[in-house]
Amino acid sequence: MKKKLSSNFTIILFLAPALILFAMFILYPVCNTIYLSFHSWKGIYGAPVNFVGLKNYAQVLSGADFWRSLLNSVFFMIGGFVILMPLSFGLALLITSKLKGTKIMKTSYFMPVMLSTTAVALMWVYMLNPSYGVVNQLLRGIGLEKLCQDWLSTPVLNMWCIILVNEWMYAGYNMLIFAAGLVSIPSDVYEAAKLDGCTGWKKLRYISIPLSKESFKIFSILCVTGCLKAFDPVWAITKGGLTILLRCRHHCYIMKHLHLSSSANPVPSASCC
Amino acid sequence: MRRKISKPLIYLFAIFWVFMTIFPLFITFLCSVKDNDGITLGMFSWPEEFMWSNYTQAFESAYILQAVGNSLFLAITSTILTIVIGIMAAYILSRKKFKGRTLIYMVFLIGVMVPVHCTIIPISSMAARIGGKNEFWFLILTYTAFALPQAIFLFTGYLDGVSKELDDAARIDGCGDVQTLFRVLLPCCTPIISTEAILAFIAGYGELIFDMILMSDQDKYTVARAMLTFTGGYKVSLGPIFACIIVAVILMVAIYIAFHEKVQDGMLTGAIKG
Repeated sequence: MKKKLSSNFTIILFLAPALILFAMFILYPVCNTIYLSFHSWKGIYGAPVNFVGLKNYAQVLSGADFWRSLLNSVFFMIGGFVILMPLSFGLALLITSKLKGTKIMKTSYFMPVMLSTTAVALMWVYMLNPSYGVVNQLLRGIGLEKLCQDWLSTPVLNMWCIILVNEWMYAGYNMLIFAAGLVSIPSDVYEAAKLDGCTGWKKLRYISIPLSKESFKIFSILCVTGCLKAFDPVWAITKGGLTILLRCRHHCYIMKHLHLSSSANPVPSASCC
Repeated sequence: MRRKISKPLIYLFAIFWVFMTIFPLFITFLCSVKDNDGITLGMFSWPEEFMWSNYTQAFESAYILQAVGNSLFLAITSTILTIVIGIMAAYILSRKKFKGRTLIYMVFLIGVMVPVHCTIIPISSMAARIGGKNEFWFLILTYTAFALPQAIFLFTGYLDGVSKELDDAARIDGCGDVQTLFRVLLPCCTPIISTEAILAFIAGYGELIFDMILMSDQDKYTVARAMLTFTGGYKVSLGPIFACIIVAVILMVAIYIAFHEKVQDGMLTGAIKG
C-alpha cells in the first residue's frame, strides 16, 4: 500500500512540471482563443467580453484578406511538396552516396538551418534588392537583363521568393530526415537488386524511394505543420501581412501594443488560427 | 555509358548547392566590411579597404552585443529546462503504468502541432496579469513550454527502445526513481538529448514572436528583434546592417563548425528514432 502511494507520488512529481507548463502556455491559451473567438472584446485587459456567437467567423470568412492569406499558405505547401521534397531527397541521396567530398557537402548543406530565420531573411532581402542586390547583378552580368525584377515588391512573385528562401533554409534539415531513412536501408537489398541487373534510375525508383516511405511520411507531417506555422521569414522579409498567421499576428499586434482597439476588432483574427 | 554522362552532372549539382549555401553568408560578410559605394556598385567585388568601423558602429547603435547575450542566456536556460523537465515526463510515460497515461501522451503529441500564433493573445494577457511582461523568466518558461511537446515525444520514443532490464538492475542496486533516471538512463539517452538540445537551442536563439510581444525594453531584445529594429530604423549606411547580421549569426556558425559532426549525428539519430 505504502509502495503504491509513493509510486503515485513520483508519477505526479515527475509529470507535474511538464503538465503545468503545458497547461499554462499551450492548453489554456488555445482554449481561451477558441472561447474568445465567439466573443467580442476590445483587446484590453479588463475590458468586457460579450458573447456574439458566430459573428466573428462570418466577418473573417467574408473578408478578402482571409482568403488571400489562406491562398498564400497553400502556396507555401505546394512549394514544400513540389520543390523542397525533391530537393532535399536529392541532397540526401548525394550525401549518402559514395561520391567524394560528402563530408563537405553535408556540412555546408546543413548550415543554413543553424542560422536564425531572421538573419537568413535579412540576408536575402539585401541579396534580392532591385537596385544593388546580387541576384539582379548576376542576371545583368550574364546578359539576362530582362529577367531583372523587383523581387520583393511584385505580388505573387514576392511570395514565391519567400517560399524559396524558406526552402533554401530548411533543405538541409529535411535532407537529414531523408538521409536517416536512406542509411537505414540494409545494403543486402541493394546487392540483391544489383544481381538482378537493377542500376541507376531503376535502383532509385524501385528501391530507394519505396524503402524510405517512412521518411516521406515524416517529411509530409513536418511540411504541412511547418507551412501553416511559417511566420518568421515572412515577417522579417516583408513586415506586412501575407500568410494567414501573419494576418492574425498583425491584428494581435495592433491590439496589444498600439491599442487601436476601438476601431479594430481583433478577435476575428484569433479565430482564423 | 549513361553513367559517364550523369556523374559529372551529379557533381555539378552537388557543387552548385554547396555554393548556394555558402555564398549568401560570404556576400554578407563582404558587404559588412564595405562602405555604401562599395555595396551599391557591386556586392560581389572584393572590398577595397576593410571597414571594420562598420562593426563598431553596429555595436554602438544596435545593442547587438547585449542582444546576443540575451539570446544566449534565453537559449541556454530554456534548453536545459526543456531537457530536464522533458526527460522526467518521458521517464514516467515510458516506464510507469497508470491510468490516463495514453491520454497524457496524446495531449503532448497534439501539442507538437499547435501553432505558436493562436496562443499569442492569451499568453500576452496572462503575462500582464501575473507580471510577466518584460521579464526574462516568463519568456524562458514560454520557450520551454513550446519546446517541451517535441522533447517529450522524442525522449519517450527513445526511452521505449532502452531495455527495461537496466532499470531492474539499477533498482536491485538500490536506486530510487530519481537515481535510476539521472544516473542510469540519462547517459543512455545522450544521442537523443543532444538532438533535442540542438533543436531547442536553435529555436531559442532565433526566437522572434514572443520577444516582440512580451518585451518592451530595448536592452532585453533578442538577436532577431534587435536585427529587425536596427535594419528597419537605420537606413543611412548599409555596412553596419550587414555587420549586425554577421554578429548575429557568427556565434551559431562558430558553434556549428566546431561541433558539426556531433550536430549532424545527433540530428540523424533523432530523425531515425523520431
